[in-house]
Amino acid sequence: MNDIGEFALLVALATALYGCVSYIMAVRGNRVDLYLSADKTPLIVWGCVAIASAALWRAFLTDDFSLQYVWAYSNREMGTFYKIASFWGGQKGSLLFWTFLLTTYMSVAYLQNRKKNVALMPYAMTVMLVIVVFFLFLLNFSTNPFERIPLPPEDGRGLNPLLQNYWMVIHPPTLYLGYVGFTVPFAFAMAALITKNLDDGWIRLTRKWTLLAWFFLCLGNLFGAAWAYVELGWGGYWAWDPVENAAFMPLLVATAYLHSVMIQEKKDMMKVWNMSLVLLTFVMTIFGTFITRSGLIQSVHTFDEATLGYFFLGFLGVVIAICTTLIIKRLPLLKSKNELDSFLSRESSFLFNNLLLLGIAFATFWGTIFPIISEAVRGVKITVGPPFYNQVNVPIGLALLALIGIGPLIAWRRATLSNLKKNFVKPVAAALVAGAALFPFLPLDGRADILAYIAFILCVFVMGCILSEFFKGTAARMDLHEESPLAALSALTWRNKRRYGGYVVHIGVVLIFAGIAGSQAYGTHDQKHLQKGESIQIRDYTVTYERLLAKEETSIKSRVIAQLGVYRDGRRVWTGNPEKEFYKGSNQPVSEVDVLSSWKEDVYLILADFTEDEAATIKVYINPMVSWIWTGGWVIAFGTVVCMWPDRLEERRRVMRQKKQDAAFSPAQE
Amino acid sequence: MKSRYALTIALAVFCLALALPQAARAGAVLADLENALMCKCDDKCGKVLINCTCATSDKTRAEFTKLLESGITVDQIIKMQVEKHGETVLSAPTKNGFNLTAWVAPFAALLVGGLGIRKIIDTWVRKNRGETGGPEPAEAPAAEPSPDGKYVNRIRNELDEIET
Repeated sequence: MNDIGEFALLVALATALYGCVSYIMAVRGNRVDLYLSADKTPLIVWGCVAIASAALWRAFLTDDFSLQYVWAYSNREMGTFYKIASFWGGQKGSLLFWTFLLTTYMSVAYLQNRKKNVALMPYAMTVMLVIVVFFLFLLNFSTNPFERIPLPPEDGRGLNPLLQNYWMVIHPPTLYLGYVGFTVPFAFAMAALITKNLDDGWIRLTRKWTLLAWFFLCLGNLFGAAWAYVELGWGGYWAWDPVENAAFMPLLVATAYLHSVMIQEKKDMMKVWNMSLVLLTFVMTIFGTFITRSGLIQSVHTFDEATLGYFFLGFLGVVIAICTTLIIKRLPLLKSKNELDSFLSRESSFLFNNLLLLGIAFATFWGTIFPIISEAVRGVKITVGPPFYNQVNVPIGLALLALIGIGPLIAWRRATLSNLKKNFVKPVAAALVAGAALFPFLPLDGRADILAYIAFILCVFVMGCILSEFFKGTAARMDLHEESPLAALSALTWRNKRRYGGYVVHIGVVLIFAGIAGSQAYGTHDQKHLQKGESIQIRDYTVTYERLLAKEETSIKSRVIAQLGVYRDGRRVWTGNPEKEFYKGSNQPVSEVDVLSSWKEDVYLILADFTEDEAATIKVYINPMVSWIWTGGWVIAFGTVVCMWPDRLEERRRVMRQKKQDAAFSPAQE
Repeated sequence: MKSRYALTIALAVFCLALALPQAARAGAVLADLENALMCKCDDKCGKVLINCTCATSDKTRAEFTKLLESGITVDQIIKMQVEKHGETVLSAPTKNGFNLTAWVAPFAALLVGGLGIRKIIDTWVRKNRGETGGPEPAEAPAAEPSPDGKYVNRIRNELDEIET
């Protein structure tokens, strides 16, 4: 089976190459026979990569340690769950997994569009096949997952203990689905540039693909944060590590694109900008992969054998050069009728929203690469860690939060003072009331406290803005259709999924902002070395160390568990069991934290250390509002699903809007 | 026009002011130290000390606690650490010399971008006024609007209703 897998990768590479060449020759020479032949290659390539992936999974599940990759990332003791996840535990497998997802996306895009978009398809497929060729080249000639060991060992080294967590099965695939998903809009954008079909056809074609990729990337980032929270044992969820940044930057650029593209759809403006954003999103995904696999920037995520940096740097350079050249060449065709009625309009607010999103993306990019710049300029390597990102990005993030509320309530084209008054009086009043109500209860004696206070006020303002939109729409429906409030709200959302789904996403973002503000500003922690029966007093809680338990889980894994009684107002509310896991052959034990989570706060327990006399060092964090972040993530997911849900009314509305616009403006032009 | 530019600049200055470091709070001295320094363990974990859970980080914390108790200030400890490990031990670039560019560049980019957008919007608004042949209509007066104004307003309102 390993031979078949290896051979399948070679066949996939040859077929993908053939597909690229024959698609180009077919469209250039009007060769129908070649076109029909090339048109089969996306599915063949997918089939070959699927066979190779199945072969590697089989090797993991059957403990085939003749494969160096299986030996390095698995062992006999690991459960099936982790053997499946070990596939993407190292560089070789993760590249194969990436390629598998890429070819899967390519095949679905092919099946979806081959008969509908004949003009764009050959070029879009060629672009995707070229990207597939790059990955297949690496898999065949640089990081082959089917590399053999001449004398297979009895057992493998096993997966890194830190990765032996259920999030390992969820987080990387979700993140990869996001990263890889942006290839589809990129390919269609490139096809539009090449074929000069630069109306909004390619945008409508790829809108759901972009949303899908955004959805997965957003969830991937949140899952990564949740994983870090429960696994790394430092009480936090985001460390601004270069690899986290690498996943965050494309998300920001894609978010900017998803907003600004609305202006193009409605007003046929900003074609160059939108094209640049969609290309930049893809570039950012490759940049992220470059960071992960180059070893150039120190990161907690860096792969053991990060050797592919130069390949990705070269690929990145080629992609940027081609994108820039194509955009410059097509500038005359990308010129749009850029006109605005007024500075005070939703279009303007979208532009500023783009500015702030890209501002955060730039600050993150700048911080990520600054160590390299510093080394190049001064010869001194420096570190750019969380204090930098928090100081730079938080103020910009707060401005963005304000715009989330302002943007949707400003009228398209021109907002008047009365329009602003009508829409903003209540949300502003709610924010002021909230600010006054919170003032006596929240400490304001540091930068973090002040920023959190501002964030809470803004959160109330934005929620006020969003809820007023729902309220107005629901009330209108209740009047018009005599519906019950719930029926009116459902019908309102269902008949206008894109708009109200977007608002739901915004609600999720507000929850995340509130959660970050609360947990960053008002958290506290304490650490003590305790004998049995001794306690830590922290905020309203008393954490009493009760006993230490040792368990032999398997022949390679043992656990030491601390039992802690958690009391509040003298009443036992929970028994926490943080533990340390010891893996044979690993120097560092892995901390498994235990968390009592509520809307108000998390009680987060860590067994930091223990001694032979069964004394234990216990670290307790009180992290307020962390669960708001996870809830916000699910709300975003729900909102995105609503946005993506098929909407037959959408096309009708688009045509109607176009007609009305033509009718409204034609008399003025006469 | 000037007031709009002033507003943009004021916003940028506000962001920059919020980004400036504040005085350390009493009781948070060790945390400040842990935030300011990276863990220098043999594994090169790449974590800020406050986020690190390795054995080296525990030893370092204990060492810092002793130093703080002996009366050595946070700044002195940071200086000692920089002398020992080099600038890479700091969790963020210093705010002087070349490193200042790390702090200034994002806000400078934001400011330039903001002014650029401002200018672009002005151009687009002027273009629109130029092509429609008249000045920007004033804020809707309380008096009765003209029939044409009514018509345009109605269309606008309707479009706003279905503008998804």
